[in-house]
Amino acid sequence: MKLLSLPERLGLVSYRNQAKSEIKPHIIVDTDICNSTCPHKCTTWVCPANCYTMDEAGKVHFQVEDCIECGTCMYACDQGAVDWNYPDPEIGRGVTWNFG
Amino acid sequence: MEDKFDCIVIGGGVAGLAAAMTLARNNMKFLLIEKGEFPGSKNVSGGVLWGSDLNKLVPNYWEEEDGGWDRFINHRRLTFMDEQSSFSLDFKSSHFNEKPYTGVVVLRSKFDNWLAGKVQEAIDASDFAMDSFIATDIKVDEVIMENDKAIGIKTGEDEFFADSVIIAEGVNNLLTRQVGLQDKYVPADHMLTGIKEIIRFDQKVLEDRFQLNGLSGMSNEFVGWATNGIEGGGFLYTNRDTISLGLVLGLKDLREKKQKPYDVLNHFKQHPTIADAIKGGEVVEYSAHVVSSGDSRVMPKELYKDGILLVGEAANLLMNAGKAIQGMDYAMRSGILAAETIVEAKAKNDYTSATLKEYRKKMDDSYVMKDIKGFQDAVHLLHTDVMQNKVPNLVCDFGRQFFSIKNEPTPKSEKMLLGAIKRHSSLWELAKLGFKARKSL
Repeated sequence: MKLLSLPERLGLVSYRNQAKSEIKPHIIVDTDICNSTCPHKCTTWVCPANCYTMDEAGKVHFQVEDCIECGTCMYACDQGAVDWNYPDPEIGRGVTWNFG
Repeated sequence: MEDKFDCIVIGGGVAGLAAAMTLARNNMKFLLIEKGEFPGSKNVSGGVLWGSDLNKLVPNYWEEEDGGWDRFINHRRLTFMDEQSSFSLDFKSSHFNEKPYTGVVVLRSKFDNWLAGKVQEAIDASDFAMDSFIATDIKVDEVIMENDKAIGIKTGEDEFFADSVIIAEGVNNLLTRQVGLQDKYVPADHMLTGIKEIIRFDQKVLEDRFQLNGLSGMSNEFVGWATNGIEGGGFLYTNRDTISLGLVLGLKDLREKKQKPYDVLNHFKQHPTIADAIKGGEVVEYSAHVVSSGDSRVMPKELYKDGILLVGEAANLLMNAGKAIQGMDYAMRSGILAAETIVEAKAKNDYTSATLKEYRKKMDDSYVMKDIKGFQDAVHLLHTDVMQNKVPNLVCDFGRQFFSIKNEPTPKSEKMLLGAIKRHSSLWELAKLGFKARKSL
């Protein structure tokens, strides 16, 4: 069986407010902390949806669009950079599982 | 305060729905609030619902043509893995065909929604058919506290009031933290990330491949190579025409070993045993969710305070002590016991800790807290390097020798075993492990 890449896997997820471009992020990340004092920048590998990425200069960036609300980053970040919440049903982007 | 409810239940998962069902049956006026489009729409589990409490909530649920559950478990397997091999403890018994079943595989989006339908039926049959509600698409922002007692909830600009609040919000328990029952930051040390794929087959192919009969099903857990050195384990459960294949990975270990969970899942899928099991299947969903480990050191300080009860994973009620990953059954029992306590509180018209502490007592007397307390050593043991790596390697090494026929003189099994022990561990280490296991299991 062919192994799937992460984008292929995320392509199988049903998101709400899929068409909305102006969604309100439900997780606020203070990347200033990631990019100044954080010794590990672990969200860039522990996040199952790869919402946290590192650019060539080693800087952490966060995007909420692929978030599947698993909670991993809330526990993994021990630096206080992640302000975690669930998306607003109206103006947020969130998952609706078909199987769960 | 005309519209005040007896109870507001936050969260339409197994714990919240079990509480709601119990409230409805006892003619209580309540509001269940779910943030998703429908109950189950944001819920993820492995998952097997162990035990027979479901029969208490929905009597004879198996008689329904297409109930919310997928398959009942009559086949259990625990597999030790190294790179090439898998060595299993395998137990199948028609004893498990008897009803009520002692384990059913569920997919939460379907199961929780079905269970919510049953709760609605119970509401319709209650005295508050027009006054109790299951409300979806509402995110609770805050539990409203007055003199450190819960009096309702706030969502956006709206407020709803009640004599009590049952928090069934799941493991990412923001409201539990808000009301002060858990620390604002919970470290990764005893938390895990579960990730899984739902893989679809032609139903006949699935049934033949896993030797299923009718609606029988198999649960298979994996330790060793499966997790690529990360603390945790793997699972494979058979659904109707899909399987749930996934891993539960220690979050602290993922952080320290710098591994991506989806890479580890692909690693697992490449094991020859797994590759053969999933051949020809089509991945139809990828999901992930944090899960607690059952280590009581991270659990909330208490299960109640004035006007508030905590149920299910919000209270980190989950345990894997080596035999099974139990969480949904703990959720169900805690939901039932919490609602029963609210019924008593209404009768006494006292929703303070003086009455609600009875919930704690019911929980302590139940198998949930007895098992969580009684098997803490097993939880710790399961997460040691010996159990996670050395034992699976040793067992597979022994298996490879024991089952190899080479047309040359065969050494005695004991010699093979001693050789395998020396290569992966030591007699002394195993003696210590055996001693600990005897006490903890």
